[in-house]
Amino acid sequence: MADFIEVDKLTKTFPTALGIVPWVRNLGRVERRTALDHVSFSVRRGELFGLLGANGAGKSTILRILAGLVVADRGTVRVDGIDARTSPLELRRKVGLCCTDERSFYYRLSGRLNLEYFGALAGLDAARLRERIADVARAVDLTGDLDRRFDAFSSGMRQRLGIARALLADPEVLILDEPTRAVDPMHAASIRAFVRDELVGRRGKTVLLATNVLDEAWELCERIAVLRRGRIAAIAPPSELDAYAGAPLRYAITIDRSDAALLDRTRAVAGLLDLQVAGDAPNVRLEVVLRPEPHALTELLRAVSANGVCVSSVRPQERRPAEIFADLVTEQSDER
Amino acid sequence: MNAEFATAGRKVRATFLRDARLMMSYRLAFLLEWFAIVASVAGLFFVSKLVPASSAFGGGRVASYFEYAVVNVAFVTLQTAALQSFENSIRNEQVYGTLEAVLSTPTSVSLVVLAAGAWAFTLAFIQVGLYLVMGGLFGLRFDHVNVGSLAVFLVLAITATVPLGVIGAAAIVRFKQGAPTQFVLSRAATLLAGVLFPISLLPFWLQAVSWTLPITHALNGIRGAFHGASLRDLSPDLIWLTVATLVLLPLSLFVFRGAVAHAKYDGTLGQY
Repeated sequence: MADFIEVDKLTKTFPTALGIVPWVRNLGRVERRTALDHVSFSVRRGELFGLLGANGAGKSTILRILAGLVVADRGTVRVDGIDARTSPLELRRKVGLCCTDERSFYYRLSGRLNLEYFGALAGLDAARLRERIADVARAVDLTGDLDRRFDAFSSGMRQRLGIARALLADPEVLILDEPTRAVDPMHAASIRAFVRDELVGRRGKTVLLATNVLDEAWELCERIAVLRRGRIAAIAPPSELDAYAGAPLRYAITIDRSDAALLDRTRAVAGLLDLQVAGDAPNVRLEVVLRPEPHALTELLRAVSANGVCVSSVRPQERRPAEIFADLVTEQSDER
Repeated sequence: MNAEFATAGRKVRATFLRDARLMMSYRLAFLLEWFAIVASVAGLFFVSKLVPASSAFGGGRVASYFEYAVVNVAFVTLQTAALQSFENSIRNEQVYGTLEAVLSTPTSVSLVVLAAGAWAFTLAFIQVGLYLVMGGLFGLRFDHVNVGSLAVFLVLAITATVPLGVIGAAAIVRFKQGAPTQFVLSRAATLLAGVLFPISLLPFWLQAVSWTLPITHALNGIRGAFHGASLRDLSPDLIWLTVATLVLLPLSLFVFRGAVAHAKYDGTLGQY
């Protein structure tokens, strides 16, 4: 599938201090800190792509550049071939930003009047707007509450109204910035199901999801880009991120028999860090820990399966997302 | 092109309705504003009893202080709307937290800001109307009004002061603090533009400053129109306001776009 969103060598700096006093103190020079440093990735049409990273890693900066709220210093962002720098208004017709900050609505207006205002800004005429409001309200289950004032909405309803607003103009790309923040587990699950089944599954939207909820990213995203201090630390499907973390690889291998010679051969494999043996023939379980080196598993299996030993299963022992994320975003990941 | 105008029109209408609904949701404050106008006109009427009628108030024709002041106070509302509406729209969006949501729609920043004038000027015109109706109840006469001159000067009063408000909005975007234009010009108008007394009473050097303010010329023209002056009679003010509009309007939009571009570069668009 062709790339729909292309982010190429995106670099962004922000001033370290604002105002006239630092400007005078530095004799007109403005010191800037790097928020994004040559970030490149691409998203396929219809893909649910995740952005993960610690606070300040650069997730929101990427989203805000995509939404046309921030201009990059260098690099390009294109959505369906439309350049964010040269055609910002055209790009914003393609992209729906779901900023779930509760303060992004007018508190003294009803949910419907909020949607009517933002829908008009999105360029919808009255008839189409009525139709779209009915559609998105149904989709986020807010039909019965739409005429209540926004300040009477619960956190979950506000979050869902944010998604409804992003969907109003039926954009091809949806940017979801922490869509389940401040939402109870039940509503969070329903929002996740909505994103996966309705937005991506039925409506075929391309979704860029920034989240700090690791399980959410693992559950929803086809691929995840992990950001560390403005750089991409890894881009991979969740199941493959462990390899990027540089952590030892763990496998459970079941064989039909074991003896001292087999164990000696196995222990001699380069890259083996640990070996535990459990069970008896015909279901001997080897729990091995390998360095993340090329061919380490192949070498190990070659040693284990010599002399006619039958290997009935090899199962990778997956680590929890939090462990993988911690490895990817901490200093040690640089040293590996 | 027509479709683009229609879309822009819908956006302006939506902004008008939003602002009207938001303002009317604060019912007491909304009602008190109207009461303030009634009180203000009544106050001017009683003050005028202390001041003898003079030709200084009528541009050559003897007129009462009430006639002079109530017209000025009414029409200076238009300048207040021009100065406040654009700055306040940006400031309010920043404080509400809605600015980034608004600017992430396919709407140019200039349209977002200028559309804020729709409700503000409608309200200002209604307020001017109330000032004049109240003035009429207290004896203000309309029989000499040159409607054509008045219409032209109303338009120029808006187009020459709107740029100052747009520059003020640019200052809000750039510096995040209350812009100086609103404060300086609204105070300066009261003192220097002859709102409450003729500028001929000012020292010469302050009169020179007064002549640089668009509102001085706008009020001159509007007062003149109220006394029946034609556009030819008012041509110095007419030319001044026209030139000010032609110079300031594009300049203010240029300054505003620069401020927005700078804020987008610094990532401070939504900050306040």
